[in-house]
Amino acid sequence: MNELLLFIRKNSKWFVFAICAIVSCVMLFQSNPYHQHLYLTSAGRAVSSVYKSGSMLSSYLNLRSINEDLNRRNAELQAEIAAQNEVIERLHELGFRDTLVTEAGVRHFDFIVAHVINNSIARPFNYITINKGSADGVRPELGVIDQNGVVGIVSNVGSGSARVISLLNPNFRLSCKIKRSDYFGSLVWDGKDPREALLEELPRHTVFEPGDTIVTSGYSAVFPEGLPVGVIMPDNNEHNENFFTLRVRLLADFTTLGNVQVVVNNFRAELDSLTVGESEDAKRKPFGN
Amino acid sequence: MNQFAIRFTIAYLLLLPLQALVFDHMVLFNVAVPFVFIYLIVMLPVTLNTNVSVILGFLTGLGMDLFADTPGMNALSCTVLAFARKPLFHLYVTMDDDLAGRSPTVQTMGAAAFLKYVLTLSLCYSVLVFTIEAFQLFIPELLIARIAGSTLYTFLLLYTLDSLLLRRREKRL
Repeated sequence: MNELLLFIRKNSKWFVFAICAIVSCVMLFQSNPYHQHLYLTSAGRAVSSVYKSGSMLSSYLNLRSINEDLNRRNAELQAEIAAQNEVIERLHELGFRDTLVTEAGVRHFDFIVAHVINNSIARPFNYITINKGSADGVRPELGVIDQNGVVGIVSNVGSGSARVISLLNPNFRLSCKIKRSDYFGSLVWDGKDPREALLEELPRHTVFEPGDTIVTSGYSAVFPEGLPVGVIMPDNNEHNENFFTLRVRLLADFTTLGNVQVVVNNFRAELDSLTVGESEDAKRKPFGN
Repeated sequence: MNQFAIRFTIAYLLLLPLQALVFDHMVLFNVAVPFVFIYLIVMLPVTLNTNVSVILGFLTGLGMDLFADTPGMNALSCTVLAFARKPLFHLYVTMDDDLAGRSPTVQTMGAAAFLKYVLTLSLCYSVLVFTIEAFQLFIPELLIARIAGSTLYTFLLLYTLDSLLLRRREKRL
Protein backbone atom coordinates (compact mmCIF):
# COMPACT_ATOMS: atom_id res chain seq x y z
CA MET A 1 0.00 0.00 0.00
CA ASN A 2 2.76 2.39 0.99
CA GLU A 3 4.66 1.53 -2.14
CA LEU A 4 1.59 2.26 -4.25
CA LEU A 5 1.17 5.67 -2.62
CA LEU A 6 4.86 6.34 -3.12
CA PHE A 7 4.55 5.34 -6.79
CA ILE A 8 1.57 7.64 -7.30
CA ARG A 9 3.31 10.53 -5.56
CA LYS A 10 6.48 10.02 -7.56
CA ASN A 11 4.63 10.01 -10.87
CA SER A 12 1.90 12.44 -9.84
CA LYS A 13 2.46 14.72 -12.83
CA TRP A 14 1.59 11.88 -15.21
CA PHE A 15 -1.62 11.14 -13.29
CA VAL A 16 -2.71 14.80 -13.22
CA PHE A 17 -1.91 15.08 -16.91
CA ALA A 18 -3.86 11.91 -17.73
CA ILE A 19 -6.92 13.04 -15.75
CA CYS A 20 -7.00 16.48 -17.44
CA ALA A 21 -6.48 14.92 -20.88
CA ILE A 22 -9.24 12.35 -20.34
CA VAL A 23 -11.73 15.00 -19.18
CA SER A 24 -10.89 17.05 -22.30
CA CYS A 25 -11.29 14.03 -24.56
CA VAL A 26 -14.70 13.20 -23.05
CA MET A 27 -15.86 16.73 -23.85
CA LEU A 28 -14.27 16.54 -27.28
CA PHE A 29 -16.02 13.36 -28.35
CA GLN A 30 -19.47 14.33 -27.07
CA SER A 31 -19.87 16.13 -30.34
CA ASN A 32 -23.64 16.27 -30.82
CA PRO A 33 -24.29 20.02 -30.59
CA TYR A 34 -27.87 19.54 -29.35
CA HIS A 35 -26.86 17.45 -26.36
CA GLN A 36 -24.19 19.72 -24.88
CA HIS A 37 -24.72 21.05 -21.41
CA LEU A 38 -25.74 24.71 -21.49
CA TYR A 39 -22.77 25.76 -19.37
CA LEU A 40 -20.31 24.20 -21.81
CA THR A 41 -21.58 26.53 -24.55
CA SER A 42 -21.37 30.25 -25.18
CA ALA A 43 -25.04 30.61 -24.17
CA GLY A 44 -24.05 30.08 -20.51
CA ARG A 45 -24.71 33.01 -18.22
CA ALA A 46 -21.15 34.17 -17.50
CA VAL A 47 -19.84 33.80 -21.03
CA SER A 48 -22.86 35.35 -22.70
CA SER A 49 -22.72 38.36 -20.38
CA VAL A 50 -19.13 38.98 -21.53
CA TYR A 51 -20.26 38.76 -25.14
CA LYS A 52 -23.22 41.05 -24.45
CA SER A 53 -21.05 43.77 -22.97
CA GLY A 54 -18.61 43.37 -25.86
CA SER A 55 -21.36 43.73 -28.42
CA MET A 56 -22.69 46.83 -26.68
CA LEU A 57 -19.42 48.48 -27.65
CA SER A 58 -18.94 47.02 -31.10
CA SER A 59 -22.51 46.93 -32.41
CA TYR A 60 -22.23 50.57 -33.44
CA LEU A 61 -19.38 49.89 -35.82
CA ASN A 62 -21.27 48.52 -38.81
CA LEU A 63 -24.61 50.25 -38.31
CA ARG A 64 -24.18 51.95 -41.65
CA SER A 65 -24.14 48.80 -43.76
CA ILE A 66 -26.90 47.24 -41.64
CA ASN A 67 -28.99 50.33 -42.23
CA GLU A 68 -28.48 50.15 -45.97
CA ASP A 69 -29.43 46.47 -45.99
CA LEU A 70 -32.60 47.18 -44.02
CA ASN A 71 -33.58 50.04 -46.31
CA ARG A 72 -33.11 47.83 -49.35
CA ARG A 73 -35.16 45.03 -47.76
CA ASN A 74 -37.82 47.53 -46.75
CA ALA A 75 -38.12 48.77 -50.31
CA GLU A 76 -38.44 45.20 -51.59
CA LEU A 77 -41.19 44.42 -49.11
CA GLN A 78 -43.06 47.60 -49.96
CA ALA A 79 -42.94 46.72 -53.63
CA GLU A 80 -44.23 43.26 -52.77
CA ILE A 81 -47.10 44.64 -50.69
CA ALA A 82 -48.06 46.99 -53.51
CA ALA A 83 -48.10 44.09 -55.97
CA GLN A 84 -50.21 41.94 -53.63
CA ASN A 85 -52.66 44.79 -53.07
CA GLU A 86 -53.04 45.14 -56.81
CA VAL A 87 -53.88 41.45 -57.13
CA ILE A 88 -56.43 41.72 -54.34
CA GLU A 89 -57.98 44.78 -55.95
CA ARG A 90 -58.29 43.01 -59.26
CA LEU A 91 -59.91 39.97 -57.62
CA HIS A 92 -62.37 42.30 -55.89
CA GLU A 93 -63.21 43.90 -59.19
CA LEU A 94 -63.74 40.50 -60.77
CA GLY A 95 -66.57 39.90 -58.33
CA PHE A 96 -64.96 37.84 -55.61
CA ARG A 97 -65.86 40.57 -53.13
CA ASP A 98 -68.24 38.42 -51.10
CA THR A 99 -66.18 35.27 -50.86
CA LEU A 100 -62.61 36.57 -50.71
CA VAL A 101 -61.20 36.72 -47.18
CA THR A 102 -58.07 38.85 -47.21
CA GLU A 103 -56.94 38.44 -43.63
CA ALA A 104 -55.53 35.13 -42.50
CA GLY A 105 -56.73 33.61 -39.21
CA VAL A 106 -53.63 32.42 -37.35
CA ARG A 107 -50.27 33.51 -38.63
CA HIS A 108 -48.16 30.57 -39.73
CA PHE A 109 -44.80 32.05 -38.71
CA ASP A 110 -43.77 34.57 -36.06
CA PHE A 111 -40.40 36.27 -35.96
CA ILE A 112 -38.36 37.18 -32.87
CA VAL A 113 -35.81 39.91 -33.57
CA ALA A 114 -32.42 39.22 -31.97
CA HIS A 115 -28.92 40.64 -32.08
CA VAL A 116 -25.79 38.60 -32.81
CA ILE A 117 -23.35 38.97 -29.89
CA ASN A 118 -20.76 36.42 -31.01
CA ASN A 119 -20.01 34.88 -34.37
CA SER A 120 -17.16 32.84 -35.82
CA ILE A 121 -16.44 32.04 -39.45
CA ALA A 122 -12.85 30.80 -39.48
CA ARG A 123 -13.32 27.49 -37.68
CA PRO A 124 -14.44 24.20 -39.24
CA PHE A 125 -17.51 24.13 -36.98
CA ASN A 126 -18.95 27.60 -36.46
CA TYR A 127 -21.48 28.80 -33.94
CA ILE A 128 -23.33 32.08 -33.36
CA THR A 129 -24.55 33.45 -30.02
CA ILE A 130 -27.64 35.68 -29.94
CA ASN A 131 -29.00 37.87 -27.16
CA LYS A 132 -32.48 36.33 -26.90
CA GLY A 133 -33.26 33.20 -24.88
CA SER A 134 -36.06 31.15 -23.38
CA ALA A 135 -37.47 34.25 -21.65
CA ASP A 136 -38.17 35.73 -25.10
CA GLY A 137 -39.69 32.54 -26.52
CA VAL A 138 -36.60 31.10 -28.23
CA ARG A 139 -36.53 27.29 -28.18
CA PRO A 140 -34.07 24.71 -29.54
CA GLU A 141 -34.45 23.75 -33.22
CA LEU A 142 -35.92 27.05 -34.33
CA GLY A 143 -34.60 28.53 -37.57
CA VAL A 144 -32.61 31.78 -37.68
CA ILE A 145 -32.58 34.13 -40.70
CA ASP A 146 -31.39 37.64 -41.46
CA GLN A 147 -32.60 40.10 -44.07
CA ASN A 148 -30.55 38.39 -46.80
CA GLY A 149 -31.14 34.71 -46.18
CA VAL A 150 -30.84 31.69 -43.91
CA VAL A 151 -28.31 31.93 -41.04
CA GLY A 152 -28.66 28.80 -38.88
CA ILE A 153 -30.65 26.81 -36.36
CA VAL A 154 -30.88 27.23 -32.54
CA SER A 155 -29.20 24.46 -30.54
CA ASN A 156 -28.84 25.51 -26.86
CA VAL A 157 -31.00 28.04 -25.05
CA GLY A 158 -30.20 29.91 -21.85
CA SER A 159 -32.56 32.33 -20.13
CA GLY A 160 -31.24 35.43 -21.90
CA SER A 161 -29.11 34.06 -24.71
CA ALA A 162 -29.02 31.21 -27.18
CA ARG A 163 -26.41 29.41 -29.26
CA VAL A 164 -27.10 28.93 -32.95
CA ILE A 165 -25.49 26.33 -35.22
CA SER A 166 -24.31 28.45 -38.12
CA LEU A 167 -24.93 27.46 -41.73
CA LEU A 168 -21.10 27.41 -41.77
CA ASN A 169 -21.11 24.17 -39.79
CA PRO A 170 -21.03 20.74 -41.44
CA ASN A 171 -23.36 19.43 -38.69
CA PHE A 172 -26.17 21.46 -40.25
CA ARG A 173 -27.81 20.28 -43.48
CA LEU A 174 -30.51 22.43 -45.02
CA SER A 175 -33.11 21.12 -47.45
CA CYS A 176 -33.14 23.49 -50.44
CA LYS A 177 -34.50 23.68 -53.95
CA ILE A 178 -33.72 25.55 -57.15
CA LYS A 179 -36.27 28.33 -57.34
CA ARG A 180 -36.81 28.12 -61.10
CA SER A 181 -37.20 24.37 -61.49
CA ASP A 182 -38.19 23.12 -58.00
CA TYR A 183 -35.56 20.35 -57.98
CA PHE A 184 -34.37 19.87 -54.43
CA GLY A 185 -31.14 18.82 -52.71
CA SER A 186 -29.42 19.45 -49.41
CA LEU A 187 -27.10 22.33 -48.68
CA VAL A 188 -24.01 21.78 -46.55
CA TRP A 189 -20.83 23.77 -45.88
CA ASP A 190 -17.55 22.14 -46.89
CA GLY A 191 -15.36 24.10 -44.47
CA LYS A 192 -13.37 26.00 -47.08
CA ASP A 193 -14.80 29.45 -47.80
CA PRO A 194 -17.32 31.28 -45.57
CA ARG A 195 -18.99 32.74 -48.67
CA GLU A 196 -19.71 29.42 -50.39
CA ALA A 197 -21.45 26.11 -49.68
CA LEU A 198 -22.34 22.95 -51.60
CA LEU A 199 -25.79 21.87 -52.78
CA GLU A 200 -25.64 18.08 -52.82
CA GLU A 201 -27.83 15.18 -53.82
CA LEU A 202 -29.42 16.90 -56.81
CA PRO A 203 -30.78 14.31 -59.28
CA ARG A 204 -28.84 13.90 -62.54
CA HIS A 205 -31.61 15.26 -64.73
CA THR A 206 -31.77 18.58 -62.87
CA VAL A 207 -32.02 21.64 -65.10
CA PHE A 208 -30.10 24.66 -63.84
CA GLU A 209 -28.03 27.62 -64.94
CA PRO A 210 -25.37 29.62 -63.13
CA GLY A 211 -27.06 32.51 -61.38
CA ASP A 212 -30.22 30.59 -60.44
CA THR A 213 -31.44 31.31 -56.91
CA ILE A 214 -31.50 28.56 -54.26
CA VAL A 215 -34.35 28.81 -51.75
CA THR A 216 -35.49 26.75 -48.75
CA SER A 217 -37.74 23.84 -49.72
CA GLY A 218 -40.15 24.11 -46.77
CA TYR A 219 -40.06 20.33 -46.30
CA SER A 220 -39.13 20.71 -42.64
CA ALA A 221 -41.09 22.70 -40.10
CA VAL A 222 -38.07 24.90 -39.33
CA PHE A 223 -37.99 27.38 -42.22
CA PRO A 224 -40.85 28.75 -44.33
CA GLU A 225 -40.77 27.80 -48.00
CA GLY A 226 -39.00 30.06 -50.46
CA LEU A 227 -36.51 31.90 -48.20
CA PRO A 228 -33.46 32.85 -50.29
CA VAL A 229 -30.27 30.97 -49.42
CA GLY A 230 -27.78 31.41 -52.26
CA VAL A 231 -27.00 31.69 -55.94
CA ILE A 232 -25.51 28.96 -58.16
CA MET A 233 -21.92 29.83 -59.09
CA PRO A 234 -20.48 29.46 -62.59
CA ASP A 235 -18.29 26.54 -63.72
CA ASN A 236 -20.04 23.77 -61.83
CA ASN A 237 -19.21 20.33 -63.13
CA GLU A 238 -18.73 18.23 -60.03
CA HIS A 239 -20.91 15.14 -60.13
CA ASN A 240 -20.82 11.42 -59.58
CA GLU A 241 -22.98 8.82 -61.33
CA ASN A 242 -26.34 9.69 -59.87
CA PHE A 243 -26.15 13.12 -58.31
CA PHE A 244 -24.98 16.64 -59.06
CA THR A 245 -23.09 18.72 -56.53
CA LEU A 246 -23.34 22.45 -57.12
CA ARG A 247 -21.23 25.22 -55.60
CA VAL A 248 -23.47 27.95 -54.18
CA ARG A 249 -22.59 31.51 -53.19
CA LEU A 250 -24.40 32.27 -49.93
CA LEU A 251 -26.58 35.36 -49.75
CA ALA A 252 -26.24 35.96 -46.01
CA ASP A 253 -22.94 37.73 -45.29
CA PHE A 254 -21.60 35.86 -42.26
CA THR A 255 -18.70 38.28 -41.78
CA THR A 256 -21.04 41.12 -40.78
CA LEU A 257 -24.05 39.50 -39.13
CA GLY A 258 -25.89 42.06 -37.03
CA ASN A 259 -29.63 41.70 -36.52
CA VAL A 260 -31.27 38.33 -37.11
CA GLN A 261 -34.79 36.92 -36.76
CA VAL A 262 -35.71 33.66 -35.06
CA VAL A 263 -38.50 31.89 -36.97
CA VAL A 264 -41.27 30.49 -34.76
CA ASN A 265 -43.57 28.05 -36.54
CA ASN A 266 -47.01 28.28 -34.92
CA PHE A 267 -48.04 24.95 -36.44
CA ARG A 268 -44.96 23.10 -35.25
CA ALA A 269 -46.75 21.05 -32.57
CA GLU A 270 -49.43 20.03 -35.07
CA LEU A 271 -46.86 18.95 -37.66
CA ASP A 272 -44.85 17.04 -35.07
CA SER A 273 -47.94 15.19 -33.83
CA LEU A 274 -48.61 14.07 -37.42
CA THR A 275 -45.17 12.57 -37.88
CA VAL A 276 -44.95 10.92 -34.44
CA GLY A 277 -44.50 7.20 -34.81
CA GLU A 278 -43.60 7.47 -38.48
CA SER A 279 -40.07 6.22 -37.95
CA GLU A 280 -41.27 3.30 -35.78
CA ASP A 281 -43.75 2.36 -38.47
CA ALA A 282 -41.02 2.40 -41.06
CA LYS A 283 -38.93 0.08 -38.89
CA ARG A 284 -41.77 -2.36 -38.35
CA LYS A 285 -42.80 -2.55 -41.98
CA PRO A 286 -39.62 -2.14 -43.98
CA PHE A 287 -41.36 -2.72 -47.32
CA GLY A 288 -44.25 -0.41 -46.65
CA ASN A 289 -47.03 -3.00 -46.82
CA MET B 1 3.97 32.31 -4.90
CA ASN B 2 1.01 34.29 -3.66
CA GLN B 3 1.97 37.16 -5.89
CA PHE B 4 2.01 34.78 -8.84
CA ALA B 5 -1.51 33.54 -7.99
CA ILE B 6 -2.83 37.12 -8.07
CA ARG B 7 -1.02 37.91 -11.32
CA PHE B 8 -2.30 34.74 -12.96
CA THR B 9 -5.91 35.39 -11.89
CA ILE B 10 -5.83 38.93 -13.24
CA ALA B 11 -4.23 37.79 -16.50
CA TYR B 12 -6.81 34.99 -16.78
CA LEU B 13 -9.76 37.34 -16.31
CA LEU B 14 -8.30 39.84 -18.79
CA LEU B 15 -6.85 37.65 -21.52
CA LEU B 16 -9.72 35.20 -22.08
CA PRO B 17 -12.41 37.85 -22.74
CA LEU B 18 -9.87 39.80 -24.81
CA GLN B 19 -9.15 36.72 -26.90
CA ALA B 20 -12.87 36.05 -27.40
CA LEU B 21 -13.87 39.64 -28.15
CA VAL B 22 -10.82 40.95 -30.01
CA PHE B 23 -8.18 38.45 -31.12
CA ASP B 24 -10.63 35.80 -32.38
CA HIS B 25 -11.91 38.41 -34.83
CA MET B 26 -8.42 39.35 -36.05
CA VAL B 27 -8.18 36.27 -38.30
CA LEU B 28 -5.93 36.94 -41.31
CA PHE B 29 -6.80 35.56 -44.77
CA ASN B 30 -9.28 33.24 -43.09
CA VAL B 31 -6.40 30.98 -41.97
CA ALA B 32 -4.15 32.67 -39.39
CA VAL B 33 -5.65 32.85 -35.88
CA PRO B 34 -3.70 34.67 -33.13
CA PHE B 35 -3.80 32.53 -29.98
CA VAL B 36 -2.73 35.33 -27.65
CA PHE B 37 -4.27 33.68 -24.58
CA ILE B 38 -1.51 31.05 -24.50
CA TYR B 39 0.53 33.82 -22.89
CA LEU B 40 -1.10 32.45 -19.72
CA ILE B 41 0.93 29.26 -20.25
CA VAL B 42 4.03 31.04 -21.54
CA MET B 43 4.18 33.18 -18.40
CA LEU B 44 4.04 30.27 -15.91
CA PRO B 45 7.26 30.31 -13.82
CA VAL B 46 9.65 27.59 -14.94
CA THR B 47 10.13 26.25 -11.44
CA LEU B 48 6.37 25.86 -10.94
CA ASN B 49 5.29 22.34 -10.01
CA THR B 50 4.22 20.43 -13.14
CA ASN B 51 0.97 19.33 -11.46
CA VAL B 52 -0.03 22.93 -10.84
CA SER B 53 0.93 24.10 -14.32
CA VAL B 54 -1.00 21.25 -15.99
CA ILE B 55 -4.12 22.12 -13.97
CA LEU B 56 -3.73 25.83 -14.76
CA GLY B 57 -3.26 24.93 -18.43
CA PHE B 58 -6.40 22.80 -18.38
CA LEU B 59 -8.41 25.63 -16.77
CA THR B 60 -7.10 28.08 -19.36
CA GLY B 61 -8.16 25.83 -22.22
CA LEU B 62 -11.52 25.09 -20.61
CA GLY B 63 -12.24 28.81 -20.24
CA MET B 64 -11.38 29.38 -23.88
CA ASP B 65 -13.60 26.47 -24.95
CA LEU B 66 -16.61 28.02 -23.23
CA PHE B 67 -16.09 31.19 -25.22
CA ALA B 68 -15.33 29.55 -28.54
CA ASP B 69 -17.91 26.70 -28.44
CA THR B 70 -15.21 24.10 -29.00
CA PRO B 71 -15.70 21.77 -26.01
CA GLY B 72 -12.47 19.97 -25.15
CA MET B 73 -10.39 21.18 -28.07
CA ASN B 74 -8.52 24.02 -26.38
CA ALA B 75 -8.59 22.21 -23.03
CA LEU B 76 -6.73 19.22 -24.46
CA SER B 77 -4.24 21.38 -26.37
CA CYS B 78 -3.51 23.60 -23.36
CA THR B 79 -3.09 20.58 -21.06
CA VAL B 80 -0.54 19.04 -23.41
CA LEU B 81 1.19 22.40 -23.89
CA ALA B 82 1.46 23.04 -20.15
CA PHE B 83 2.84 19.55 -19.67
CA ALA B 84 5.44 19.90 -22.42
CA ARG B 85 6.41 23.44 -21.45
CA LYS B 86 9.24 22.61 -19.06
CA PRO B 87 11.10 20.19 -21.39
CA LEU B 88 10.69 22.71 -24.23
CA PHE B 89 12.09 25.46 -22.04
CA HIS B 90 15.16 23.38 -21.25
CA LEU B 91 15.88 23.00 -24.96
CA TYR B 92 17.09 26.59 -24.90
CA VAL B 93 18.06 27.25 -21.28
CA THR B 94 19.90 24.57 -19.37
CA MET B 95 20.08 26.25 -15.97
CA ASP B 96 16.97 27.51 -14.23
CA ASP B 97 18.42 28.48 -10.84
CA ASP B 98 18.40 32.17 -11.69
CA LEU B 99 14.76 31.93 -12.71
CA ALA B 100 13.40 30.58 -9.43
CA GLY B 101 9.78 31.69 -9.18
CA ARG B 102 10.02 34.14 -12.07
CA SER B 103 8.17 34.14 -15.38
CA PRO B 104 10.12 33.61 -18.59
CA THR B 105 10.48 37.01 -20.29
CA VAL B 106 13.03 38.74 -22.50
CA GLN B 107 14.62 40.14 -19.33
CA THR B 108 14.94 36.92 -17.43
CA MET B 109 15.89 34.65 -20.33
CA GLY B 110 17.60 36.90 -22.84
CA ALA B 111 16.03 37.85 -26.14
CA ALA B 112 17.29 34.98 -28.31
CA ALA B 113 16.29 32.19 -25.96
CA PHE B 114 12.94 33.80 -25.16
CA LEU B 115 12.02 34.24 -28.83
CA LYS B 116 12.89 30.64 -29.59
CA TYR B 117 10.85 29.52 -26.56
CA VAL B 118 7.78 31.54 -27.62
CA LEU B 119 8.06 30.40 -31.23
CA THR B 120 8.25 26.76 -30.14
CA LEU B 121 5.20 27.08 -27.89
CA SER B 122 3.22 28.86 -30.64
CA LEU B 123 4.12 26.13 -33.10
CA CYS B 124 3.21 23.37 -30.65
CA TYR B 125 -0.12 24.96 -29.86
CA SER B 126 -1.07 25.55 -33.50
CA VAL B 127 -0.13 21.98 -34.43
CA LEU B 128 -2.17 20.59 -31.51
CA VAL B 129 -5.32 22.65 -32.09
CA PHE B 130 -5.46 22.24 -35.84
CA THR B 131 -4.64 18.54 -35.71
CA ILE B 132 -7.52 18.00 -33.29
CA GLU B 133 -9.75 20.01 -35.62
CA ALA B 134 -8.55 17.93 -38.57
CA PHE B 135 -9.99 14.80 -36.95
CA GLN B 136 -13.41 16.32 -37.53
CA LEU B 137 -12.79 17.88 -40.93
CA PHE B 138 -9.59 17.15 -42.83
CA ILE B 139 -8.49 19.48 -45.64
CA PRO B 140 -4.67 19.01 -46.01
CA GLU B 141 -3.70 22.28 -47.70
CA LEU B 142 -5.86 24.28 -45.30
CA LEU B 143 -4.34 22.47 -42.30
CA ILE B 144 -0.79 23.38 -43.32
CA ALA B 145 -1.72 26.99 -44.10
CA ARG B 146 -3.48 27.31 -40.74
CA ILE B 147 -0.58 25.89 -38.75
CA ALA B 148 2.05 28.03 -40.49
CA GLY B 149 -0.02 31.23 -40.47
CA SER B 150 -1.22 30.92 -36.90
CA THR B 151 2.25 30.07 -35.56
CA LEU B 152 3.81 33.21 -37.02
CA TYR B 153 0.86 35.44 -36.13
CA THR B 154 0.71 34.16 -32.54
CA PHE B 155 4.48 34.50 -32.18
CA LEU B 156 4.42 38.11 -33.37
CA LEU B 157 1.57 39.13 -31.08
CA LEU B 158 3.05 37.34 -28.06
CA TYR B 159 6.36 39.10 -28.62
CA THR B 160 4.51 42.42 -28.91
CA LEU B 161 2.60 41.72 -25.71
CA ASP B 162 5.80 40.87 -23.87
CA SER B 163 7.50 44.05 -25.14
CA LEU B 164 4.57 46.14 -23.92
CA LEU B 165 4.76 44.52 -20.50
CA LEU B 166 8.53 44.96 -20.54
CA ARG B 167 8.22 48.70 -20.90
CA ARG B 168 5.87 48.76 -17.92
CA ARG B 169 8.25 46.65 -15.87
CA GLU B 170 11.13 49.00 -16.67
CA LYS B 171 9.10 52.02 -15.64
CA ARG B 172 8.43 50.43 -12.32
CA LEU B 173 12.14 49.88 -11.60
